[in-house]
Amino acid sequence: MSGRRDLPALAGVAVIAAAVLVAAFAPALAPADPVRNRLLDRLTPPMWAEGGTARHPLGTDTLGRDVLSRLLYGARVSLVVGLAAVLVAGVVGVAFGLVAGYRGGWPDDLLMRLGDIQLAFPVLLLGVAVTAVLGASLGNMILVLGASGWVTYARIARGETLSLKEREFVAAARALGAPARHVVARHLLPNVLPPLMVVTTFSVARTIIAEASLSFLGLGLPPPTPSWGAMLDEGRNYITTGWWLALFPGLAILVLVLAINLCGDWLRDALDPRIEKGIG
Amino acid sequence: MSRSIVVILLGALAVVGGMPRAAVPADPPRAVDGQAIDPDAELIVALADDTNNMDPRIGMGSIRSNYIRQVFESLVDVDAAGKPQPGLALSWRAVNENLWEFALRPNVRFHDGEPFNADTVLFNFDRMFRKNLDKWGIKDLPAATSYDKLYPTVARWEKVNDHTVRVHTSEPVAMLWDALGREPLVPKAYTIKHGIDVLNERPIGTGPWRMVEWKRKDSMRFERWDGYWGPAPLVKRMRFQTIPEGAARIAALRAGQVSLIEAVPPIDAAALGREPMFKVVSAAQKLGCRLYVNGRPRDKYDSGGKDGAFADGRLRLALNHAINRDAIIKKIFGGYALANASPVATVMYGYAAQEPYAFDPARAKALLAEAGWRDSNGDGVVDKGGEALTLQLHFPAKHYGQAFDEMTAAVAEMLKDVGVGVTVKTLDFGTLLQVLSKGTLPPNGGFTACRTSNSVDAEDQVRDWASLTLVNWTPFPPELLGLYQASRREVDPAKRLRLLADLQKQIRDWAPVVPLYQEIKLYAHSARVLRFTPLPELHMDFRGVALRK
Amino acid sequence: MRAYLLRRLVHALVVVWGVVTFVFFLVRLTGDPAAFLVDPTATQAEIEHTRRLLGLDRSLAVQYADFLAAIARGDFGQSMQTRRPALGLVLEHLWPATAVLAAAALLISTLGAIPLGVLSATHRGGWLDHGSRLASLFLQSMPAFWLGIMLILLFAVELGGLLPAYGSGSLRHLILPAVTLAAAPLAQNVRLVRSGMLEVLGEDYVRTARAKGLAERGVVYRHALRNAALPVLTVTGLSLGFMLSGAIIIETVFSWPGLGRLIVQAVPGRDFPVIQAGVFVFAVIFVALNLVVDLLYTALDPRVRLT
Repeated sequence: MSGRRDLPALAGVAVIAAAVLVAAFAPALAPADPVRNRLLDRLTPPMWAEGGTARHPLGTDTLGRDVLSRLLYGARVSLVVGLAAVLVAGVVGVAFGLVAGYRGGWPDDLLMRLGDIQLAFPVLLLGVAVTAVLGASLGNMILVLGASGWVTYARIARGETLSLKEREFVAAARALGAPARHVVARHLLPNVLPPLMVVTTFSVARTIIAEASLSFLGLGLPPPTPSWGAMLDEGRNYITTGWWLALFPGLAILVLVLAINLCGDWLRDALDPRIEKGIG
Repeated sequence: MSRSIVVILLGALAVVGGMPRAAVPADPPRAVDGQAIDPDAELIVALADDTNNMDPRIGMGSIRSNYIRQVFESLVDVDAAGKPQPGLALSWRAVNENLWEFALRPNVRFHDGEPFNADTVLFNFDRMFRKNLDKWGIKDLPAATSYDKLYPTVARWEKVNDHTVRVHTSEPVAMLWDALGREPLVPKAYTIKHGIDVLNERPIGTGPWRMVEWKRKDSMRFERWDGYWGPAPLVKRMRFQTIPEGAARIAALRAGQVSLIEAVPPIDAAALGREPMFKVVSAAQKLGCRLYVNGRPRDKYDSGGKDGAFADGRLRLALNHAINRDAIIKKIFGGYALANASPVATVMYGYAAQEPYAFDPARAKALLAEAGWRDSNGDGVVDKGGEALTLQLHFPAKHYGQAFDEMTAAVAEMLKDVGVGVTVKTLDFGTLLQVLSKGTLPPNGGFTACRTSNSVDAEDQVRDWASLTLVNWTPFPPELLGLYQASRREVDPAKRLRLLADLQKQIRDWAPVVPLYQEIKLYAHSARVLRFTPLPELHMDFRGVALRK
Repeated sequence: MRAYLLRRLVHALVVVWGVVTFVFFLVRLTGDPAAFLVDPTATQAEIEHTRRLLGLDRSLAVQYADFLAAIARGDFGQSMQTRRPALGLVLEHLWPATAVLAAAALLISTLGAIPLGVLSATHRGGWLDHGSRLASLFLQSMPAFWLGIMLILLFAVELGGLLPAYGSGSLRHLILPAVTLAAAPLAQNVRLVRSGMLEVLGEDYVRTARAKGLAERGVVYRHALRNAALPVLTVTGLSLGFMLSGAIIIETVFSWPGLGRLIVQAVPGRDFPVIQAGVFVFAVIFVALNLVVDLLYTALDPRVRLT
């Protein structure tokens, strides 16, 4: 593969690495406390706009909180939600898919119907209900987004398992009497994972967007925790009067998601073009 | 107590002057304020939400009222200042302490021609008090206001003649004219014939507008009721259009696709107000937003054996002095809100201004210290006996609008500044209601919420702490309860006003809640809309409103 | 084929039963509507009275048995908030509002993806390819509510009311919400078509065919397109749920009186019958459309056999 073709992916990796660093060192980087509000400084524009000040490079929000600081801290939520929800979905999905594919029979039927039920249930309704019962929190948000994503993984893992099961090396291991756990862990899992890597990148991107959608519906994290989705949502009523409120978190989401998608694209090309068929 | 006094409230019979609905000649006018108008035009009003119901018995919440009162009318009407006016009743009086009389307006007809008379009113009272329902073949239904529970001392009602109705009580009920008078009245024959579900779906009232089409969650169309007893609207058609998203409402107004929008955010109101094509108007509302805290004794909720952490009045007073209301109103509401230390909205009958709770963090800290709460370990949060004082603030996000949400976040920080730990728990409004109805608010719990009223009389708002209801987490101490009950029984208006003023003063000092702001509602309309005056009420009045050619 | 259809029918019933059962218990975990139907100044006794009127004081098992028996008769009860039959209310919002919006978005996101994806593939590496890939990524990286508000501000206000800011009922009203709803799936599908095409176009016999001239090229494109359409179909079937969920947000932004907003607004009010009827209808549509997708799949790809 030529260097030029890898360039977008490299840029993507750089952006993601930057986001991770920013999230990790937010306390050191942020010029101000992201939670502390000063009503008197409400809606200060960015420093380069008229009325802006260097104290708040990207301006302040509706409560006079520093937008830059909230943006830096907000990276934590977006990354944690994106990664954790996908991890939950991936682990559950792959486990179910392996079991369904390897065992076949009633476990297969049961798990696949469970997946159908999950898909036929509106995700946002699940979000509303979970928030109503358990309250709004980071953990619950991960739970909802994770729960809504596992089916894709399960289906792909099951499909791969079904085809691998018949392949010689697996069949041989089974014939030699290797325990199921061994076969799954040693022979199936390593072969199932690569195609799932691509799905994973796209899912992370989608989950970051979903966090914003949940905020729009009032299912976001409780204030004053800063998150990009919540900031974007708070800013939507100020598009004409305080454009910086929504612009910066919007850009942040855009750039991060773009970066992750670029990596996903690259990964897909690098692994196998046929993988795409399975991406849900 | 003087007996058998005749009470006519507040010059209720005074001729309405200078109001948008001036007398209209038989031939509809072609011009208003010297501007040619278009009598056949359609007035399109953008609202944030559709009503769920049109039957007033199911509920008269802030969204519903606006729809229902276009079609239905009540015995008592209100003017632009919120003062009671003759509606379907020409007058009302207390014949004696336990007997009220309503003189009904003659020659009023419902939209289907059914006459409005004493029988109509008695039928409506039956429904309101859940009496004789079987006799009329009417189903009982979950109703927002349970008259039989709220006014158990109302004994019976009778028809004196076709246009006079009397209500007997077993004990004096001073605000009965208001309690009964503000309920929109439905037709008797139509309701009995078709049932309440049809009434709810295809309502027939006496109001200035006939409902002609209702597409749920989308729009409701009205036409002028030409048989209206009063000044007819000056536009032929009207449409209430649901546009939930604030930015889309403003966009629709700017694009000229709607004539009038409600609930304009203050910051946009300022921008719209500067443009000659639009006009921004506002009216103080009865909606008061407050921080409620748990001060219930342990036997009055699902407590796990602990009294509410805020049972001590000094704590609640401290919270009150920690809030910088001026900053909130000026910054978040752009000046479009009121600080009101009285439990009664400024626009209600019986309101008495109270000394504001000054923003005074030092005093707040002193009050906390007086109650034994000090920051002994230097972590910024006061404590007592090794336990920190934290408020678990239940916050119904996205229910009352963005300004309310911003305000709650600001309040949380202000409380932290005086040493009260605050953890915000976001939940949807329905879940908050579950918590409150089940009594599972934690001992250190609190919530921000708003309370409005369909009544004109202050009683509706001082009643909040009398019995254990969803919003009552600090029940009246015995002496205040006594004062409240006395105000309810006092039929003499002058004496009653004094009692109400005294009660408001005492409630203010006892500080059951932390009043945050009283709403001023903002409307914006195109300059084509003439003579729109917002009311301090849950609904808008379009009688007399015209559209310029 | 008949055995296959029968099996799928049984699966469909199981799935629909699972969904309604799940929603029945889920909504009841969230409390009940009694407190919502009374005034905030109502006392506990009044709330209890309301609960009795609604039959919510009965045991959960009794309510569930009742519920299953009733839906077998097609009766989803009366909406607690609006006092209308719940299923009727749901169907009223499904047709035309939601159906039209979803169909338009589906058409845009699938049929629209084909020319874009083909162009992208045939101009691989050119500015057209890069442009469309970038635009795809861009659309996929933007929350729908944000895109919607931006489109309203642009088309309804800045461009002098070129398109309406709200409402439904005409083609002009449909454009913005349908485009917003279709944006993310369209972007995904363009990429699927592109790679599907590339896969085929890269094969030797195709290269030969292309060299031979136009007539054969038509055949090749048909073959390549068929290959590209399969993943689009799969993904579309899977993402119908996302589409309907996304519709909830788009319906709010564009004041579209659809099913999504009805269901979501029923949740804070704990209007159980409406939620249950809405989710039931949603599940039925989902299951039916997926069956259609699978059948189409066999029509497009003879290698797939129905088992």
